Amino acid sequence: MASKHTIATRHAQGIRARFASRFLRSLLRLRRSSNRFGGSQSNDEGIGKRIRTDRIKIAAYAAMARAVGPRRTWSRALLFKLRNRARIHGVSRKRCLVSEKKRITRNKVVATSSEPSRADTLRKLVPGGDSMDTCVLLEETAHYIKCLATQVTVMQSIADRLLL
Amino acid sequence: MRPCSREMQGMNSLLNPSSQIPLQDLQNQQIQNSHFDPNLSSNEDFLEQMLSSCSWADPKSPWDLNPPTNLPFPTNNSSSSAKHRDLFNETPSSNSDSNNVGFRNNFDESVILASKLRQHQISCGNGAAASDAAKMMLPQQLLMAVARGGLSLNDDIDGSLSQGGDGSIQGLFNGFGAGSMSGTDGASNQSMQQHFNHPQGGAMQSPNLGAQGAPATTAVMNQPQASGSNGGSPAQPRQRVRARRGQATDPHSIAERLRRERIAERMKALQELVPNANKTDKASMLDEIIDYVKFLQLQVKVLSMSRLGGAAAVAPLVADMSSEAGGDCIQANDNGGSLARTTNGNQTASTNDNSLTVTEHQVAKMMEEDMGTAMQYLQGKGLCLMPISLATAISTATCHNRTSGIINSHAPMHQSNGEGPTSPSMSVLTVQSMTMGNGGGDGVAKDAASVSKP
Repeated sequence: MASKHTIATRHAQGIRARFASRFLRSLLRLRRSSNRFGGSQSNDEGIGKRIRTDRIKIAAYAAMARAVGPRRTWSRALLFKLRNRARIHGVSRKRCLVSEKKRITRNKVVATSSEPSRADTLRKLVPGGDSMDTCVLLEETAHYIKCLATQVTVMQSIADRLLL
Repeated sequence: MRPCSREMQGMNSLLNPSSQIPLQDLQNQQIQNSHFDPNLSSNEDFLEQMLSSCSWADPKSPWDLNPPTNLPFPTNNSSSSAKHRDLFNETPSSNSDSNNVGFRNNFDESVILASKLRQHQISCGNGAAASDAAKMMLPQQLLMAVARGGLSLNDDIDGSLSQGGDGSIQGLFNGFGAGSMSGTDGASNQSMQQHFNHPQGGAMQSPNLGAQGAPATTAVMNQPQASGSNGGSPAQPRQRVRARRGQATDPHSIAERLRRERIAERMKALQELVPNANKTDKASMLDEIIDYVKFLQLQVKVLSMSRLGGAAAVAPLVADMSSEAGGDCIQANDNGGSLARTTNGNQTASTNDNSLTVTEHQVAKMMEEDMGTAMQYLQGKGLCLMPISLATAISTATCHNRTSGIINSHAPMHQSNGEGPTSPSMSVLTVQSMTMGNGGGDGVAKDAASVSKP
């Protein structure tokens, strides 16, 4: 539908700006924390670099999820997962009210014993895809793809700017 | 359409103070005044009769006679309307909330009116089909007005039906047309109700069922001429409407159809987002979507690797991308050996062979442990990793041009020179192993990577 598409692109502008600001802030935070612990540490070992990679990746996803907000199922699921991870790792975060209803009302699609269908593969890829039926899944996938694409372009432009 | 607007105004003035009594009275009066002039020949006269019998000209009387009651409307009906009501209540509705129920009650009344009108039509005798059709139009416009008036009765329903109101009225209209056109058997009353339930139930979900009602009407109107039951829903004791060709009026199949349409809609929207979306097959389209999502997630991962070191002069972005893409396939085919072989094959000119081979071994060793460090090591030397196909293409190109040819095939891709402008002989070629934002060129990444230095 053409109208939906135009609305979506207008929406994307807002998402891009919000994501960019959040991501940059979290990057700054990461760099400050890494500088505190010694600047040359990450250059020596590969493991440290991997940790930093993961942190940046998580920061990117968290920034994207927060920029989208709780409007979308996948963003809610992503935020939930990130908060769980933060809790497990013992990092102290602000206590936010997480609606646990999403977990409770999850009606897992009955998995047939045959090889995983394409819908199941898609469900694994899209965060929170387990508790969606096909129709909703496709919609969420569309939005998720759009947000991922903006994420990539923003990160890329940041990388370019950093290198200059 | 003039009579219709007149009636609507009348109805609105009557019915605005939200009570269902005027309609009730209307119906009661219609029941009482069932003696219509059978010698009607023109539409206007018929309308006049309707209006006079319903005594709409006198707005005060309904309210004086009957104090406002909050009783639900069905309790005051005659038996025939009770029958209709039962049909309504038995109809499964997927979005059954209070709005629906109120909506159905309003339609109850208008449907009863419709049935009365239809009976009148039958009693009038069947004239020419054209005049009958013309006569049908008016009562249906009447009913539209009634429906609209009925809709305005409940304010809370109005809001919910603001979108679907017109579509549902259309469905009403078409339903009535279909019902009245489909034969004169006594059970066709109920058939009209049934047929009309479905557009109504569907209209709850999407307004375009009204549009579907129109072809249904035409299909049903063709039935007397076609003299066959289309689509074969057999005559059941509940008098189902004859299905139109190739479709069923079963609520389940309607829901199925809606679901399929929604899925098709979403697939079309996805097609615009995903590149290489020229696949018509749903399955291959899904595969494409899955691959694209995986690709984007991989890009995010790669880009997050490039943030290491911050504002360093190296281009880890380039190296890491190629490493991410090519690293897997390098590791897939026998790590260090193939790399050494390919690099040996691709060296065009080298000032210092020894250092290069040392570098290669070093890089091969580092690649086994961590691609990122390997790539940074290469970058520090002013080298980069690229797919073989690209290397061959570039080497042929740079044969003619020995000065530093920096190829920038993609705008966001940044070129970087490890040594800076001090060594023009060494050219660092940027690699686009995975296109960033282009979506194409994935095949490039699949080749084995090579190190080249012109």
